[in-house]
Amino acid sequence: MAWGGDEDQRPEGEDEDEIDETDYKTQKDAVLFAIDISSSMLLAPDDTGNKKADKDSAVTAALKCAYQFMQQRIIAQPKDMMGILLFGTEKSRFRDETGGRSGTGYPHCYLFTELDIPAAEDVRKLRELVEEGEDADEVLVPSKEPVIMSNVLFCANQIFTTNAANFGSRRLFIITDNDDPHKNDKAAKSSAAVRAKDLYDLGVVIELFPVSRAGKAFDLAKFYDDIVYRDPAAEAAGAADEVKTSKSGDGLTLLNSLISNINSKQTPKRSYFSNLPFELAPGLTISIKGYMPLHRQAPARTCYVYLGGEQAQLAQSETVKMDSETRTVEKSETKKAYKFGGEYIKFEEKEVKSLKDFGGRVLRIIGFKSQSRIPMWASVKKSTFIFPSEEGYVGSTRVFSALWQKLLKSKKVGIAWFVARTNANPVMVAIMPSGSLSEDGSDTPYLPAGLWLYPLPFADDVRTVDIAAKPRTADELADKMREIVANLQLPKAVYNPLKYPNPSLQWHYKILQASALEEETPQDHEDLTIPKYRQIDKRVGGALAEWKEELEQKAHELVQSRAVKREMDIDEDEERPAKRSKPAAKKAAGGGQMSNAQLKAAFEKNTLKKLTVAELKDVLASKGLSTVGKKADLLEKLEQWIEENV
Amino acid sequence: MADKEATVYVVDLGASMGDCHNGRDESDLDFGMRYVWDKISTTVAASRKTWTLGFVGLNTDETNNTQDEEGLEGYHNISTLQEIGPMTMTELRELHPKVKPCEAYSGDALSAIVVAITMIEEFTKKLKFKRRIILVTNGESPIDDEDDSITDVAEKLNEHNIELVIIGVDFDDPEYGFKEEDKSRAKRQNEETLRKLVEACENGVFGTMQQAVEELSIPRIKPVRPFKAYDGPLTLGDPNKYESAISINVERYFKTKRATPPSATTVVVNPDRGYTQSQAFDDGDVEMGGTEFSNVKHMRKYKVNDPSAPGGKLDVPYEELAKGYLYGRTVVPFSDSDMAITKYETTKSFTIIGFIPFDSYSPFLNMGETGLIAAKKFDEKSEIGLSALIHALHELESYAVARYVQKDGAQVQILLLKPNPGIEDEYECLYDVPLPFAEDVRSYQFPPLDKVLTVSGNVLKEHRLLPNQDLKEAMSDFVDAMDLSGFDVDEDGNPVDYAPIDEVYNPVIHRLNQAIRTRAVHPDGEIGPPPEILLRFSKPPEKLIKKARPDIEALIDAAELKKVPEKAKGRFKEAVKPLSGLDIDAILGQKKRTVISPENAIPEFKQALATAEDDETVEKAVKQMGEIIRKLITNSFADVFYPRAAENLRVLREELIGLDLPLLYNKFLRALKKSLLSGELNGDRREMWFKYIIGGQLGLVTKEESEMSDVTEEDAKAFVKK
Repeated sequence: MAWGGDEDQRPEGEDEDEIDETDYKTQKDAVLFAIDISSSMLLAPDDTGNKKADKDSAVTAALKCAYQFMQQRIIAQPKDMMGILLFGTEKSRFRDETGGRSGTGYPHCYLFTELDIPAAEDVRKLRELVEEGEDADEVLVPSKEPVIMSNVLFCANQIFTTNAANFGSRRLFIITDNDDPHKNDKAAKSSAAVRAKDLYDLGVVIELFPVSRAGKAFDLAKFYDDIVYRDPAAEAAGAADEVKTSKSGDGLTLLNSLISNINSKQTPKRSYFSNLPFELAPGLTISIKGYMPLHRQAPARTCYVYLGGEQAQLAQSETVKMDSETRTVEKSETKKAYKFGGEYIKFEEKEVKSLKDFGGRVLRIIGFKSQSRIPMWASVKKSTFIFPSEEGYVGSTRVFSALWQKLLKSKKVGIAWFVARTNANPVMVAIMPSGSLSEDGSDTPYLPAGLWLYPLPFADDVRTVDIAAKPRTADELADKMREIVANLQLPKAVYNPLKYPNPSLQWHYKILQASALEEETPQDHEDLTIPKYRQIDKRVGGALAEWKEELEQKAHELVQSRAVKREMDIDEDEERPAKRSKPAAKKAAGGGQMSNAQLKAAFEKNTLKKLTVAELKDVLASKGLSTVGKKADLLEKLEQWIEENV
Repeated sequence: MADKEATVYVVDLGASMGDCHNGRDESDLDFGMRYVWDKISTTVAASRKTWTLGFVGLNTDETNNTQDEEGLEGYHNISTLQEIGPMTMTELRELHPKVKPCEAYSGDALSAIVVAITMIEEFTKKLKFKRRIILVTNGESPIDDEDDSITDVAEKLNEHNIELVIIGVDFDDPEYGFKEEDKSRAKRQNEETLRKLVEACENGVFGTMQQAVEELSIPRIKPVRPFKAYDGPLTLGDPNKYESAISINVERYFKTKRATPPSATTVVVNPDRGYTQSQAFDDGDVEMGGTEFSNVKHMRKYKVNDPSAPGGKLDVPYEELAKGYLYGRTVVPFSDSDMAITKYETTKSFTIIGFIPFDSYSPFLNMGETGLIAAKKFDEKSEIGLSALIHALHELESYAVARYVQKDGAQVQILLLKPNPGIEDEYECLYDVPLPFAEDVRSYQFPPLDKVLTVSGNVLKEHRLLPNQDLKEAMSDFVDAMDLSGFDVDEDGNPVDYAPIDEVYNPVIHRLNQAIRTRAVHPDGEIGPPPEILLRFSKPPEKLIKKARPDIEALIDAAELKKVPEKAKGRFKEAVKPLSGLDIDAILGQKKRTVISPENAIPEFKQALATAEDDETVEKAVKQMGEIIRKLITNSFADVFYPRAAENLRVLREELIGLDLPLLYNKFLRALKKSLLSGELNGDRREMWFKYIIGGQLGLVTKEESEMSDVTEEDAKAFVKK
């Protein structure tokens, strides 16, 4: 991409809120897997005859993880890099051609997949190794002499330095079962520690995925505590990310255990904004960071391909701006203007700035409401996750925690004015808590506990839809439907998004993969969003059939009664049948039109209090009673009248 | 909504309208035109051919109207300033200078209304139109007050179904609460006449300008015609396969849809006119108006890498390009016919997957806008069927989860269906919101908020990061004290909801629209501050704060927050240690790194600075780093080493800011710029400068960034521009 091109600029009018916080480093992630190829890592588990038992050696499990990681990365993070470095191998390979160094520079390090955006070829090579066990190059042979860890770390350093020089996030995933590679060699340990510090200074985060074997715990203190640093962000928040050991057992295979540990680190934590002032009240501000754990993943757009060369090549596009006489114009010549009445209205740069200025970035609480006061239809946009940070105000975390606990306990939400970045569009948000106060009660275990900024619609965002008020005649139908609903709950009575991969997305990439690897085109694939029709029929088929029969009849009755009514109601206002669990009066109908019988019924069901003040006044007025007073007084007056008169 | 409209504005331009009254510092005309221009510019903004308007001046010095031309009496000093027609900026610009106070004072408002009626009559004929006349006057000129005339005009208005809006400057309005003291007798009488006229109309509004102007700041929301997104069956089970499956015919509309502010267009000054204009206006400031600008056109050019081509890039014509996708970094071309198979084949459907209880769902899972689902009209079976489902869900406090494909070939969505049994409003329906798929969830890990886990695996319940009992209680009292529901009451003493959605307007949309309208009418005027109503909910209501003051104070005390001093941010460095706490610096100290190797430049540079004891060592390290950067660029084939050079430069910049030595950086960068642009570093290195250094925001360190710098923001900008 050449400078001056506007590929990085969004098309005009696109939602600026979606742009992630611009950092001067490219917000890209590079992950290098470093997998220990030792004889113990290669050891296949004993065949216990149990079908569910482990079948994979630690190396196979690690490679399978890497393979899955690579495929997911292509779909979800198509601009991010990954690579695989095997260490402790008999063979050595760094980069053969341009890198300059030969394999001898880093003995027993084998760069299996170069750190880059994965290519189809990388996927195939890895799959062959993983699924077909084809190791033609015999890379999975452990070396006879032990590998020197400082070499491994420096090798990783060089890979990051050259391939992902200015990536915002660079991570080294070390998978090993050896907690003490340099038992009695103090010098080797020190130089490894120095190389680890180099990586830290370079900005590379080391994530350790220890594999532990039955009867032998992985002891971090022996070696890795000198190698692994805390994530500075987590450090500020006072808690280190745990290093989780992977092992088989407890019904979990080593593979699953490793996958779940690695998945939790799949995406680097990118903040959407940081050190944002969160004003709880005048004079009480804490600092927070924002994240987007929910983000709609869509298939990548098409690109243009040049087929004229030896290989299909991506054509890079460059935009040239031209005026009406096709003269190229420089950026400095252009101005921003608004179309108005067929012409352009222009503002000075200063004015444009002032038009966007609503008083700086802030999250400011204007008060609290009960969560139930947010209308159920009030949704416009995904929510943003916030978490305290101590960078602006020391003590932010405890205040945040107190707020979080209070909101959870009282089922309240904060209503707040929110400007994410300088000049970003202000929005009103409801601040909602996630997680739970008890140990196991979270409804969203796949999401972190904290607070969410739930965007509320503006008046401008609400559409009026005129739908006719619907009749409600058949209680029996609702009763029967209840039985059906109760019997068709989703597993664990919860919607867990992780159980529903996006079929359109999955299909798209399956086809792409097949084409890229020149394989046969798959014919179909499993779509987990399709309901389990057979189960539905089996569980509630009978009830459904009965319900349908009943519906047939009720619908027939309604058609009949409507026909009759049309004849009768030529002059009269149509009176709709009363609905259950609903005061008979409607605003439109006017409380004054409630019949005495309806009033009495409402009185007995104790639903009169659901009338609004305006409706109450209507009713009272229609009975010739005074309409002065608070709602409670009005109610009392009306109830008294009903008791005495109906 | 998109109905045809014909509006005639009748505005009194008489001598007295040019005067200021009642303590205002603007004339009655300017005051009244605030309202009229706002209305007219709203019509202009809509740019609808079917929204037409005309303009009649009352008390104009000249007389120019059809009635008068026909020789009728009593139509003097009335002029049609604009015939009815669509309104664009051109008309607006033409009309603007005509609206100015005149000398005359004897035109008859009633006659002017008749002129307007005739204009509407002729323009709209018998067609379906929304007809309206808006009269703005201060009622100082004489009006024919014979009852017959009033009745005649009212009848005519009614006959043509014309709405009459009369807005008087300083007219009394007891309902709004305005009364002009010392009103002249003539004005009182005229007001009375006009009021009678409005009362005689079937469709009439009578008001005072004070109120009209005040209401201008209340944003008007653009109505949008409901859009039917889906029309078809909602099923439970598969009707094609199982007899038991049920199918309800439904229609789905949008309940919420994000309204967007008007978007700016990139324009350029037209070459021909721009030239003469800049001659005419020395400061090069182009007058408002559109014709001197034209839209910038975007032309795309395509390039591919080709080592044999000059600059390593080859231009390729668009026609020779195929379409494709990227799989990782592999390019996968598809022919047009193969393209279709990359899309998952779907058929239009809407089917329920299962049900979940209300309380197992958290609203922040919503991924977007809300839909509204109602039964198909005039389909009794579907009406009661859907009603039964809605009530069953409501009674069981359950939501349905459904798979939704809007039309054949569309992407699959998963929707959560929420029952609205119509208890609070009049309509029974289902609301739906989109839910996330597995791919949409990023698993971020965060430490727990109610306990602290130590490195050694202990769980702490008391910690400086956790609230103590005092803080928890103070927070609880504060949240309860700041409750918005019911803190305010209406006139009857009933609690009102604070900040309900229909009172919260999108500030950006209305601010921008208001500014554009203002600028269109008054090209040279100020755009003014945003109306108060748009900022109403940006702060907690004062009354509430006052009430909650003691609880706020208590919370502030319990929180014990300390602001991190500005200076400490980013600069404050503690020796970094691995988990074990091992002192790496001590190990490094034994073999000090003074020579920085190019391949491990960043760590070695940082470590050299960290252990440096004097400025000389620092300068030496900086010099070495500078050499490495220049060498990387010099040796770079095309752009291969640019990212590395940029990263080294970034670290250099960051470290020098941290050491309060921005001058060193700025000096290096000035020299580097020269070398880059002069081609001194082995060829054309402009890409390094523009894309990596400017694009990467690695320009001069400014005073804002470091107090030790002597570079202002403007200097830095100018440095980058050339």
